[in-house]
Order: sequence, then C-alpha cells, then structure tokens
Amino acid sequence: MNLFTSFTLLTLLILTTPIMMSHTDSHVNNKYQSYVKNIVFCAFITSLVPAMMYLHTNQETLISNWHWITIQTLKLTLSFKMDYFSLMFMPVALFITWSIMEFSMWYMHSDPYINQFFKYLLLFLITMLILVTANNLFQLFIGWEGVGIMSFLLIGWWFGRTDANTAALQAILYNRIGDIGLLASMAWFLSNMNTWDLQQIFMLNQNPLNLPLMGLVLAAAGKSAQFGLHPWLPSAMEGPTPVSALLHSSTMVVAGIFLLVRFHPLMENNKLIQTVTLCLGAITTLFTAICALTQNDIKKIIAFSTSSQLGLMMVTIGLNQPYLAFLHICTHAFFKAMLFLCSGSIIHNLNNEQDIRKMGGLFKALPFTTTALIIGCLALTGMPFLTGFYSKDPIIEAATSSYTNAWALLLTLIATSLTAVYSTRIIFFTLLGQPRFPPSTTINENNPLLINPIKRLLIGSIFAGFILSNSIPPMTTPLMTMPLHLKLTALAMTTLGFIIAFEINLDTQNLKHKHPSNSSKFSTLLGYFPTIMHRLPPHLDLLMSQKLATSLLDLTWLETILPKTTALIQLKASTLTSNQQGLIKLYFLSFLITITLTMILFNYPE
Amino acid sequence: MTLIHMNILMAFSMSLMGLLMYRSHLMSALLCLEGMMLSLFVLAALTILSSHFTLANMMPIILLVFAACEAAIGLALLVMVSNTYGTDYVQNLNLLQC
Repeated sequence: MNLFTSFTLLTLLILTTPIMMSHTDSHVNNKYQSYVKNIVFCAFITSLVPAMMYLHTNQETLISNWHWITIQTLKLTLSFKMDYFSLMFMPVALFITWSIMEFSMWYMHSDPYINQFFKYLLLFLITMLILVTANNLFQLFIGWEGVGIMSFLLIGWWFGRTDANTAALQAILYNRIGDIGLLASMAWFLSNMNTWDLQQIFMLNQNPLNLPLMGLVLAAAGKSAQFGLHPWLPSAMEGPTPVSALLHSSTMVVAGIFLLVRFHPLMENNKLIQTVTLCLGAITTLFTAICALTQNDIKKIIAFSTSSQLGLMMVTIGLNQPYLAFLHICTHAFFKAMLFLCSGSIIHNLNNEQDIRKMGGLFKALPFTTTALIIGCLALTGMPFLTGFYSKDPIIEAATSSYTNAWALLLTLIATSLTAVYSTRIIFFTLLGQPRFPPSTTINENNPLLINPIKRLLIGSIFAGFILSNSIPPMTTPLMTMPLHLKLTALAMTTLGFIIAFEINLDTQNLKHKHPSNSSKFSTLLGYFPTIMHRLPPHLDLLMSQKLATSLLDLTWLETILPKTTALIQLKASTLTSNQQGLIKLYFLSFLITITLTMILFNYPE
Repeated sequence: MTLIHMNILMAFSMSLMGLLMYRSHLMSALLCLEGMMLSLFVLAALTILSSHFTLANMMPIILLVFAACEAAIGLALLVMVSNTYGTDYVQNLNLLQC
C-alpha cells in the first residue's frame, strides 16, 4: 500500500519526460525513437505494480493532489481515481503502445519527421491516461479534448494528401457533436449537483437523470463512432497504420464506452438510458458489420470491425453489465492492434498496396504475419479459449439470458455471424490462393522490430483473456443454469458465418457476376449514409441560417420596415401629387390673365 | 390721375405683358424685367419730386441698386441654361416634368 500512489503518479510522470526533453536537442537525433519506446516500457512495468496490488487487496485509491481553484462553491482539484477500471486499463494501454511504438520504428523508418511522430503518439498516450484516471469531469474533459486533437494531428500526418485532411476534419466535426453532449452533462451536473467530482455525483443519486445521461450517451456516440456519428472512423484510416492501430482500434475510440462505464452507478437504475444504449449499440454493430462485408481496403474492413465491436460494447452497457464491457475493451485491444500491425506488415511488404483484390498467396511468403492474422481473426470471432472468447461469449450469454429487447438481441446475433463472414473474407483474399500482386516487390518480414511487437501481441491475444478473467474480482454473479442451445448460441452463429462465407468466397473463383445487386451497392457505399448526410443537411442548415439571419433579420426587420418604406412612400406621394410640368409660358400666361381679371374686378365692382 | 402717370403706367403694363407672354427666348423675359424696373423708377422719381416728398428721396436709388443685383442673377441663370443647352429656348426647361 505504500507504493500504490507513488507508483501511479510515477507512471504518469515518466511518460512526460520525453516531452520535456524538447528543451535539449535530443529530440532531433535518431536515438529519440528507442528512447521513447524504452520510456513507455518503463512506464508499463511501473504501472504493473499498482495493478497487482489492486488485484491482491481490492482496495481503490483516490489521489487528490493540488487544489487549483474554487469558483464560488465549486472546488476544482487535480485528482486521480485509481479504481478497477483505470488500474486495469493502464497496463493494457501501455503494453499495446509499447508494441506499436516498436512497430512504427520499422513502419515509419523512412519518414523524415519520425521523431515528431513519436512525440505525437506519446502526447496522445498521456492525454488518454489523463482521461482514464480522471476523478472529476473537468480533468476528463481535458483528456477528452486532448485525444481529439492528437487524433486530428495524427490522421492528417500526411497532410499533402487531400483525403487525409478531409478525414481529419471529419473526425474533429463528428467528435465535436459528441462534445456538445458532454458539455451539456457537465453543465447539468454543475447546476444541479454543484460538483464535477465523481464521488459526489454518485452519492447524490437524484432521480430524474435522463438529461445528463442522454448527454453522456451522445458524447459516447460521437467518440466511439456509434450509428449516426460513425463515418469518421473508416475515413480515419487515412492516417498511418500505427495511428490506426493505437487510436482507432484500441485506445481512443473506447474513450466513449469508458465514459459510460465510469458512470455505471447512475445508469443501473435508469431503464430509458439502458434501452437507448442497447438499441443504439445493436444498430451500430449490425450496420457496420454489413458495411464491412464488401469493402476492398483491408484497413477499412478492420475499421468497420472495430466499429462493430464498439457497438457490441454499447450493447453490453445497455444490458447493465459494465464490467463485461470493460473486459471486452481490454481484450479487444490486444487482437485488434495485432490485426492492424499485420495489415501494416502486408501493406509495406506489397509496396503500399491496400486493396485486397490485389493481394493473395501470402500464406507462403509471409508465414509469421499469416499466423498472426489468422489467430487475430479467430480471436475476433470468439474462437473458444482464445482471448475474444472470454469477453465475447459472456456478453452473448448475458444477452440471451436477460430480460431484454428481443430485436436488439437478434441484431447482435446476426452481427456476430457477420463478424465471422468478413474475417473469412480477409483471410481468403489476402492469404489464400494465387498471388495477385506484381512479382517485383521484395517481401521480407525478418526485421526484429516488426516480429517482436507482433509476437508480444500474439501471446497477448492467446492468453490475455484467460489471465485477465482469472485475475479480476467477480463483480456479478454468473448465471449457473442455462439451456444448451443458449449456451452454444455464439459458437453456432460464428460457425454458420464461417461456413457460409467460405462457400461464397469459393464461388467468386468460378462464377462471373454481371451487375452488383442492390444490397451489394448498399453495403459498399456504407449504407448511403455519407452520401446523404455529408452534403444535404449542412447545405440546408446554412441556407436556412442565411435566410433567417441575413434576409429576415438584417435586410427586412432592420432596413426595409421603417427607413426604406418611409422613403418609398414619400417618393410615390410626391410623384402623385405634384403637377409640375415645366410649361413656363402657360404659367406666365395664366398669371397675366389672373392679374388682369383681378384688376378689372376690383376697379369696377358694379 | 394725370396723363403722365397714365403714360408711365401703360409702359409698365406693356413690359409686364411682355414678361408673361414671351415666345421662345428667356432673354426677352429678362429684358422686359429691366423695362418694368425702368418704368417703376421713372414713376417713383416723378411722383416723389412733384409732391416734394423729401423723406422718400432715397427710394428710387435703392430700387435701382436692387434691380441691378436682380439683373445680374437673372443673367447668371441665363448663362447657366445656355451652358447646358447651347441656346436659351424655354422649351428646354422641362426637367421638372414627371
């Protein structure tokens, strides 16, 4: 217990050291990359100590360091909450970041700004850890915005490419819509509970909590790419593969789910919010799984797979199982990061080829990557006793045996089988068959900087589920009696998916399809969602605002109503009533006649 | 009234009719205006001298001064019209027509 708080703060402090080395010139030489990688490794080892201590004693800690400011009755401090969630997430995130940094030493080797890349990755990691360990909403918001900004900088890493800039901006915009929800919740908590501290919020458990919880659900939908705010995640694949592996599969996109998991004491009594998250998660997981079926870019398939798993986590939260959702976050991070690293290896070895229609036959050429890819896909689909099984199977069991929405359950089950379908598609197109790439590329995966990270994550993908499930304290009573058909649901759906997918994929070698069917077009164009929603609503909104603000307010109410109307009335009246014709001689003549008549009348009155 | 007064009054009314009934030139109006002024001056001078109305001895001279100013203004207006149109025909002065 003595070392608990100090090692936790030491972890965070170690990570800031390379940033502070910017004062010296050690950040411009090529030792910087190994330095950052070793720093992250040290932080990982340091964070294991508090995690082990927590698993031993099950005692949470709250570190409240520095009183920053008191604004009338709101006290803002720098406080870290070391509970089950943050203490388990920190080692996992640091392990994965360590592996990804070693991988990017190989992947980004020829980039001239590689030191800046490492600094950005480290900054992202620091802000993510601030988000995870935050005890008050203000610190969480700092971490929230920090990961958003680092995501922007890293997606647009190759900023000379227009698509990358567009994708980075798209990520920022969609995250901003989610931030509205978070800010609304913060404002509600401030005005109704007078605090931003999590302890006080959970203690003052007030009843009508619908508004702040809806705000939190909106924030999670924005950050974790739920349906409606999802297009930024596939577009974010414009960034380099290490960025996709770290941010958009393991760490940043789970921040929204993590937020909802943090607030689970408020959500356990609110049926409405649980139903909303359940249905939103179910729609997300099925929709993105459908979109993943016909994508041709390997990174986009894995991105949609991430989005589908995030929907599954949302479903779990909707089933009132926050601990299962958190376990799925931790286990999903391992095999998803490994899938991205394998795809990075394939892409680099095929000379930057990302289209799976141009890959093939890598089974013999890249044996180690092939192994890792297949094990990763199997773990993703929930193969028994790999990592994914220990979190995905309890989720499906909890879903099928709880008193919940049957339609959401059906969507989740269909999405589970679709997971197997697109995993088979990846394996079939990239690894099996004859090569479809030009034979002049040199394929070499013998670099230890590439092999070691994938090896570590491979061991994690196989064993981490087992180790984590057996180490964590049980938070809910597991269901002991279950009918056999419910127990085997997940396995049956997955096997069904595998069989169907393999048959269809084999068909593609024989038949020639004439035109894409309507459902195939729906899937390839991402459900027409970006096509409709990226042009039409912004155009209508801007048009309406222009009509309201400029035409109605400025031009009409302020200009035309009084000033211009007055001028117009005067003009019309003067032209109507004046009879100046410019006939001077006529006027003079009438004047003469009048004078003469007057003189005659007044001189001769009789 | 006496015959002389009648004579000068007829000269005045001749000039007045000429002012109000001119054909096409603005210059003729200005000339008739001078004629009116001249006849007024002579009438005033005769009446005041023959009635020995010493107090009003200044009136014809002041009248002459003001008439000179007015003639100058009238000529300036004529010159402006002539600058714009080249001639001083009155049918050019129809800008107020709606």
